[in-house]
Amino acid sequence: MNVRRWVMPVVAVAALVVIAAAPGLLSPFMVQFVINLFMLAILAESWNIIGGFAGYASFGNVAFFGLGAYTTGILITKAGWTLAMALAAAAVVPMLFAALVGLPILRLKGHYFAIATLGVAETMREVVYNVEVTGAGTGLVMPIARTPALFFYLMLAILVAVTLVNAWLAHSRFGYGLVAIREDEDAAAAMGIDTTRYKTIAFAISGAFAGITGGVFAYWITFIDPDAVFRVIVTIQMIIMAVFGGAGTVAGPLLGALVLASVSELLSTQLVALAELFNGLIVILVVLFMPKGLLEVVKAGRGSFRVMARNLREYRV
Amino acid sequence: MTTRESQRRWGLFVGTLVSAILLAGGIAHAADEIVLGTAISQTGKYAREGKFYVDAYTLTVDAVNKAGGVKVGGKTYQLTLKMYDDQSDPSLSVRLFTKLVTSDKVNFLLGPYSSGITIPASAVAEKYEIPMIQGGGASGKIFDRGYTYIFGTLPKAELYFQSAIEAAAKMNPPVRTAALLFSNEAFDRSVGEGSRQWLKDAKIDKVYDEEYQPATQDFTSILAVIKTKNPDLILVAGHEENSLNFIRQAQAAGVNPRMMVFTVGPPTGDFRKTLGRAAEYVYGVTPWLPDMEIGGDIFKSARDFDKQFQPRFGYAADYHVASGAADVLAFKAAIERAQSLDAKKVREALAALDVETLYGRIKFESTGQIAMSQVLVQILDGKVVPVYVAGRFVNKPVYPAPKWSERK
Amino acid sequence: MLLLQVLINGLLLGGLYGIMALGMSLIWGVMNIVNVAHGALIMLGAYLTFWMFYLWGLDPFVSLPLTIASLFVYGYCLQRWVLNLVVRAQLFLTLLITFGVEVVMINVARLLWSSDLRQVAPSYAAANFEVGELTIPWVRLWVFATTLVLSLVFLVVLEHTRLGRAIRATSEELRAARLTGIPVAHIYAVTFGLGAALAGAAGGLWGMLFPITPVMGGSLTLKSFVVAVLGGLGTMLGAIVGGLVLGLAESFTATYLGPTYPNAISFGLLVLILILRPTGILGRKT
Repeated sequence: MNVRRWVMPVVAVAALVVIAAAPGLLSPFMVQFVINLFMLAILAESWNIIGGFAGYASFGNVAFFGLGAYTTGILITKAGWTLAMALAAAAVVPMLFAALVGLPILRLKGHYFAIATLGVAETMREVVYNVEVTGAGTGLVMPIARTPALFFYLMLAILVAVTLVNAWLAHSRFGYGLVAIREDEDAAAAMGIDTTRYKTIAFAISGAFAGITGGVFAYWITFIDPDAVFRVIVTIQMIIMAVFGGAGTVAGPLLGALVLASVSELLSTQLVALAELFNGLIVILVVLFMPKGLLEVVKAGRGSFRVMARNLREYRV
Repeated sequence: MTTRESQRRWGLFVGTLVSAILLAGGIAHAADEIVLGTAISQTGKYAREGKFYVDAYTLTVDAVNKAGGVKVGGKTYQLTLKMYDDQSDPSLSVRLFTKLVTSDKVNFLLGPYSSGITIPASAVAEKYEIPMIQGGGASGKIFDRGYTYIFGTLPKAELYFQSAIEAAAKMNPPVRTAALLFSNEAFDRSVGEGSRQWLKDAKIDKVYDEEYQPATQDFTSILAVIKTKNPDLILVAGHEENSLNFIRQAQAAGVNPRMMVFTVGPPTGDFRKTLGRAAEYVYGVTPWLPDMEIGGDIFKSARDFDKQFQPRFGYAADYHVASGAADVLAFKAAIERAQSLDAKKVREALAALDVETLYGRIKFESTGQIAMSQVLVQILDGKVVPVYVAGRFVNKPVYPAPKWSERK
Repeated sequence: MLLLQVLINGLLLGGLYGIMALGMSLIWGVMNIVNVAHGALIMLGAYLTFWMFYLWGLDPFVSLPLTIASLFVYGYCLQRWVLNLVVRAQLFLTLLITFGVEVVMINVARLLWSSDLRQVAPSYAAANFEVGELTIPWVRLWVFATTLVLSLVFLVVLEHTRLGRAIRATSEELRAARLTGIPVAHIYAVTFGLGAALAGAAGGLWGMLFPITPVMGGSLTLKSFVVAVLGGLGTMLGAIVGGLVLGLAESFTATYLGPTYPNAISFGLLVLILILRPTGILGRKT
């Protein structure tokens, strides 16, 4: 029996059990922080599916997040649905939307695709502003839930699910297909991969996870308006976290989210008004010195400075 | 380095980070201090208005401490402020308020700026049953959820234009037609809802009723349409930037109503400074003016407050500032009335509070929102002149406003 | 006549949109860099114009060349020593780094100059003249004229000077350009400098019409995206045409549909154009 193959899964399950006990052990503020951290990690992992594996850098994933938030919000406040049903809808509606929108948009490449997805996110925000059922500019007020542990476990469950999906992608034919599309789409098509179907499915799964997260977020924050849930910075955050941890890997976005969210929270509470400035500087430094992720640099141990210097020179003119 | 070693270093790094966060908050505070905590917009789109509250809270806390602090049960307590920056982000605001309550263990909460942030932030106060007084959100939505731990010192949004419309109907010759323009946001939409009712009551014809996106800067199309309707009165609900743009562009487009009223802008110093002569004859609404004959504890009069505020912060106080100061004073009064630091007892004291201050009479309705009427003011000769309040004219307004082309 | 007034309003503002997008289109077309910090550059130009007006009393039209020159230098340095390091990286990395630059610029501006609203208000700011039932503000007309002149000058530089040819050569075939001895790093920096200079000009002009704050750039970057794509990426004339089209679309939508719709329409247009005709109105299929 190959013991080493079982080490990682056992460690993972043990870690999960410890984490699951957290709400009872941590202070309420830490619980809030961890909920936020889980949320960012889910978004990074979900972006990873379309951006990391398939190589289609979407700059509009916040559209699915916001759509999920509003789906849940409207169904709970206007149609009296239960949280469970509303969350299920928050996964399904963005998923269908992603598939629908993906059909024309996934035909675009590179920058065009990125800008198109950004355009979709912005259009959606403006549409929500104009429609009465969403509460337009006034927003939606949700019922208050007095158990933060609920959100903790919801986010944890979704995080486990999206990480498992990423892990599956890393070892399945479908995932290899996505990587093939990323490396050379024409060659992949020539090999017989139905690139349209693969891309659309990846986009839809990515959208579903972002959507259900948005639903939980709406209930957690108790109030949503278009400006709160369709923020471009959220998309940037998920991308930078995935990149920092290592886009296209399974654990990368998780680690990226963990480190960057912690740093950001630390800055917000210690530096207050300078936090945003430092966040911007961090983004610049990450792109310059660790564009392939933190792991690449850390693995080199003593040679990490050399790796960073090499990264600095690698992409220049 | 082997993978095992790099993983260990990883773990060390992450562990240090997490510990840093755990330790970053939760500093025990001194036994004889009362900590007022808040997360306010110091950066982001509300940074400008957020500063009014930062400065107001700071000045008032200092003034209270200098005057002997807060006396409870024979002991004297000093007030301390713990302020975070919510970066104009509602979800960060919620996390920071949670931190203030659970980790920093502040005694009471002061509110953020804007209804959109106050709505979720007040949910935190309600959840942990710590009273929050806010002076930056006026939308009814903050107060119609049945919460008991949120109090507000800005009057109800729906009432904002009441005095303006009443006065308009009583002008000579009276206003007959009006255009209503409001921003697509919680507060302004509430203002719009209220205004429609007042216009109907005053039997003024509404010839234009539109909302615009909060980020709108170019009003030329709106003005082109309004010009064709030629209303006597234009009511605009929005933020200061919207008001600024509207007035300048109205001048450039040659739109000449008899009366123009704005929810935000006219009472504030830098608004008049930025517009210069173009601000003349413009009307605004404010619950507070530095000349008002009001005063109370710590600040003997509104004028006295402004005299302490302006030299220290470099700009004249307006109602945002006064509202922020009132929040701190309301806590002092409630704590001393309850003679306790217990959250529930202070909440009850707040609900029953009735005290005169530099901001006016602080008395909260059952919903938690203050009941205060708006004063209609007009900018004349660069100064803010109160024109109409509590049902009567207190000064003669210049009406109708002279046409743009006829002004010097 | 309302229709004519709406038309004129749209055209006048559209010219400004055009020059705003010109800088972004140039950088995108030549170096394949999507400059998310574009709005921040516009903001910087606006602030420079404001401070020269406020401190030295310089009329904003007079100080425009100064603003343009300053932004050129700034843009050159930014590209030469920061952005040149990532030019060959994957697209989203360049997007990320320019986003980081934007955040830094906005926060530095806020720390230096506070979030107070600034306005450039020369004495003629609200003057207008009437043609029949139309009212046309002088400043808008002059701003429009300036954008046309600047665009023309820029197009001439691009088509008929050695520098312009070098820039176009570098954008079309990098390796060949290198082989003919064109100093690519320098040309890239000059290109970005030009793009920044155009953004600075747009900022100076914008500041004459609208208030200036550190965060004014975000929505302008998005607008520039729409205009650049609408007109055709990389085609300079396309940016102007795209600007006019957007200006008209916004003006008509605001008047006849309602003031809350223009943004929805413009972003919807962006998505539609990308789906139906990614090369834009004037672009050629490569």
